[in-house]
Amino acid sequence: MSTGSVEVVYRGIFQKTLAKNICRGVVFAAKKEGKIGTAFGRYSDSPERNGIPAKQFAVVSDTHDELQEHLARYEPDNNDVTIACDDTLCKGIESWAWYGLQPINKLLKKGGTLLVTSFQSPNKLINFIHRKGEPYNLALIRAQASFSGLWVYKDDHTDARLLGALAKVAPHIVGIDAICEVIEEQWKDDLKVISARKSFDATKSQPVSAEQGNEEVPFSFEKPGWKTMEEGLVIRGISAEKQVVAGRDGGYVPTRNATFKKYSTRTMRPVINFDTCTKCTLCWLNCPDTCFDITPDGLYDANMDACCGCGVCEAVCPVADCVTMVNEEAFDDNASQWEMWVKDKKGYETWMTEKISDQPARTHGFHHVGQYAEEATNESA
Amino acid sequence: MSDVIEESLEDYIKTQVLEPWKGPKNVPEQEYFTSGHRTCQGCESAQIMKLMAKAAGPRTVILGSTGCMYVANTTYYSTPWVVPWMHTQLGSAGSAAVGTAAGLKVQMRKGKMAKEPINVIVFCGDGGGADMGLSAISAALQHTHYNLLILMYDNESYANTDIQVSGSSPWGANSTFSPPGKARRIMNRRWKKNMAGMMAAGHPDCKYVATVCTSAPMEAMNSVRKALSIGGPTFIHSLDPCPKGWDYDPMFSHEIGELAIETGIWPLYEIEEGKITMYGKSRRILRGQLKRKPVADYLMRQGRFAHFIDEDIEYFQGKIDEMWEKWLIPGVIPIAAPA
Amino acid sequence: MNPPKTATAETMVTGGTEELISGSEAIAHACRLADVDVITAYPIRPYDTVMQYVSQMISNGDFDCEFIVAESEHSQFEIVKHASAVGARVFVGSSGVGWFYAFEALAVTAGLRIPMVAMVGNRALDDPGAFGVEHNDALAVRDLGWMLVWVETAQEALDTALIAYRVAEDKRIFLPIAISCDGAFLTHSQAIVNVPDQATVDSFLPRYDRGDKLLHPDNPITIAPQANEDWVMEIRRQSDAAMRRTRDVITEAYEDFGDKFGREQEPFIERYMMEDAEIALVGMGTLALPVKVAVRKMRAQGQKVGFVRVRWFRPFPTEELQDVLSGVAAVGVIDRDYSFGSTFHSGVLANELRSALYPVENRPKIISFIAGLGGREVNTDNVIVIAGMVADAAAGGDMNDQDTYWIGVRE
Repeated sequence: MSTGSVEVVYRGIFQKTLAKNICRGVVFAAKKEGKIGTAFGRYSDSPERNGIPAKQFAVVSDTHDELQEHLARYEPDNNDVTIACDDTLCKGIESWAWYGLQPINKLLKKGGTLLVTSFQSPNKLINFIHRKGEPYNLALIRAQASFSGLWVYKDDHTDARLLGALAKVAPHIVGIDAICEVIEEQWKDDLKVISARKSFDATKSQPVSAEQGNEEVPFSFEKPGWKTMEEGLVIRGISAEKQVVAGRDGGYVPTRNATFKKYSTRTMRPVINFDTCTKCTLCWLNCPDTCFDITPDGLYDANMDACCGCGVCEAVCPVADCVTMVNEEAFDDNASQWEMWVKDKKGYETWMTEKISDQPARTHGFHHVGQYAEEATNESA
Repeated sequence: MSDVIEESLEDYIKTQVLEPWKGPKNVPEQEYFTSGHRTCQGCESAQIMKLMAKAAGPRTVILGSTGCMYVANTTYYSTPWVVPWMHTQLGSAGSAAVGTAAGLKVQMRKGKMAKEPINVIVFCGDGGGADMGLSAISAALQHTHYNLLILMYDNESYANTDIQVSGSSPWGANSTFSPPGKARRIMNRRWKKNMAGMMAAGHPDCKYVATVCTSAPMEAMNSVRKALSIGGPTFIHSLDPCPKGWDYDPMFSHEIGELAIETGIWPLYEIEEGKITMYGKSRRILRGQLKRKPVADYLMRQGRFAHFIDEDIEYFQGKIDEMWEKWLIPGVIPIAAPA
Repeated sequence: MNPPKTATAETMVTGGTEELISGSEAIAHACRLADVDVITAYPIRPYDTVMQYVSQMISNGDFDCEFIVAESEHSQFEIVKHASAVGARVFVGSSGVGWFYAFEALAVTAGLRIPMVAMVGNRALDDPGAFGVEHNDALAVRDLGWMLVWVETAQEALDTALIAYRVAEDKRIFLPIAISCDGAFLTHSQAIVNVPDQATVDSFLPRYDRGDKLLHPDNPITIAPQANEDWVMEIRRQSDAAMRRTRDVITEAYEDFGDKFGREQEPFIERYMMEDAEIALVGMGTLALPVKVAVRKMRAQGQKVGFVRVRWFRPFPTEELQDVLSGVAAVGVIDRDYSFGSTFHSGVLANELRSALYPVENRPKIISFIAGLGGREVNTDNVIVIAGMVADAAAGGDMNDQDTYWIGVRE
């Protein structure tokens, strides 16, 4: 008599099909073992937005009565396994329907396993992940986060590999044989079965203690009740006054929405070479998220609380290598690049050079017809 | 009494005089639509909101009909709007603008509110504009005594409800209501509605109709400023590349918009008091100074067209060629010149 | 932004003029006297007569407002909703399926807490297309946060419209009101009406002031953002609280109206010959006329029968109905509406009343009657038949109070 639940946290749209494949795979595999299950997405994540963290769940039980206890829920807690389909999610997740930043391990049960797709070292990820206050396990599958779009799925076996790894870290939910049987049935692809088994064999988990992890208190706020909420569906607009920022006289920092920051959507961030910037304004003008602060010296400093990492600034910048999108894994905080540059230009150059080189590349979906097949060929080569 | 009404009416219908901005360095720093909306990465509809609000300035009321720019922009307790903003129903863009403009005007006339020209802008998506709200928008464009701007942000699908085809979706595009399948490759067989042309041709008293694209941000802002200055009801149709629904890497948002213009799929023009002007690359195409890029350059960059085979691309190219070569006015009047 | 207007009436004497006008024209006068700012029209019988009077007043120069002929009822209601959000006093109306065409707008108007005042010229719903009265059109919004009031005479229509602005626009409330006028019987028949003078109206009705809910560049707010499950219950609870407050605000308004205009009336219900009544009839709107005639006839023959006319359906006058009906032996509810498949297949008012009287000790038997649908006349003979059936129930006869009786229908 038992129930097991798996929480799959993923990048909205880019990994929607991936998450669906995992959750459905779990339920089908559990059925092979004589259990019953359900798979569902968090309703408030829909309609998903590109990049914004979203969730799907798979719950399996031995009996219908046990399963019922877990149905009709938005967001099951106390999960046996949390799968982060992209390691940048380890920095915390702000879904478009949540209020505040949720640690990636928040809904993981004590002693459960956080399974992450990453090329990073476990210790590096633990530094990102908020301290849980309870022991749990961390397991990695070594892969680049698999991103594709709404219509064309990039079948790079990440779904099969995560299912294989899941069978390793939570055999009480589903076993590897059932997983392989289901993969064979669903995709009719022997290579995917091999991927699942290889992943099962390779997956190891390591314990993370209650005290380990990022000490930052994630931002949050209290929701008012009906007696204190304004009537008439009214909320106050954002102040038209610019923000007063210590040490910045002049320039322009707009006041921003304090209740939704959007930075946990980011998987790459712009790194700015202030020495080559011609102040053409195009990054500032074309940023859909109004993330560029105008500095007192007329430069444009991407505000890391507001930037969601779309990369439009890099695309529109007319100067070669002035704006470079860099994998978010390379950064530990949201500090201002311009302030760093002002303080120590030489040091900034060193820092910038290090950041823009030698970071794992990322792709964010569809570039052209045939691209995923080309990438699969390149990756297997 | 009627004389009094007419006199104060004259006072009121003055608009704000918003001169065009010459070059991006002259664009003011102040933002009226700021960070912290919940749109996708690289959302060009959010970008047109930002440009529109910036162009209009602080003495503006903005109404937004149901769609991405309502749901993703303003979730309860959380707003990116600096200027006053109110939701309106999906088919109510025209009505919201008329009601707001009428309410402000009458109170000013009766001395219940300080007199000043206040910009009234309503935005709607292509679902709210080209489909459900068409009759109310058409009615609004007849109310020449109200100053209002209707901006239709067109991401070519019902993008907020998980991407379903609208009357403004391109022929053949993949959507959750038009998925290509084994039996039918092309599920959406409707050609995109020509909204700006329809609004201009059907509403002779509407003084300003334009098409814009976020890939030409200065022109888009100056178009908003011109619409608000010219007065009466005005209409702008904005093409906004949508990385989610069109399925492309968000970093290409700007480039995809440029390709829409360069392939001739999205002609940029403005019709001011009955006079049409093509602008930007569209003008160069019209004058034969710029050769249109093949539509495949645009289509094959987007997952929504990934199921197209050669004959689909040829059909699409043929329709675009026809628009530029046979229409009375390319992009506006889909009728051949009288013999 | 809108400083409250100084009360101009130095005196409580009612002036005004006597006019021979229909219910629709009476409401048009109320709009003029209330200095309504924005009115939207769309043609549908029978309500549209009010807009014909309004447009004539405007073209004659007797009334200054923005009069907008919309291209559909949906736009008609949406336009005034938005005009109200920027501080304009608004009036609108419809009938039958026109009201239903605006249904989305009706729902959001209440949700948004917009104090719109609307007239419903009650009309049967299509199909079949019929112009005559039924109450199902207005009743359709009964759960959404609209206050609903039914009137009997043209005078009451005018008075109630003035009261409606005062109640709806009260900052404690900010909810819309629909004034129901029975098609034909009220909208199209004329009676002598006291049309009050402007000064008295101004002393009674303050200017609409949205306060810090005004949509204006000086008050940059965001109205009606999208909400998820984290917020909706709180928002609904606020509307519930506002609706609960309407009882006191309506009572205050009627008291003040009586003082200023000299026309006293009980706010929620009208009690007609109920003092010693053993059986009672209950109904809404103009069917009160034949019922009152019949009651007088039956009283003349010694039957202790009375009548209760329900004015306000929302808020529902639960306390008053419990008070007036708890002493009688049997009640006959005459519904000019239907609720197919409902409890005992009864009318809407009958079922609502059963619910209101359930906690009452010695509750009377309640018999439901459906009559006068599609504008069919309810005559005094019909009422006497109904009263006879109710008397039979009171006497412990064969009447089944778990059924519903259709009166005046051909078998």
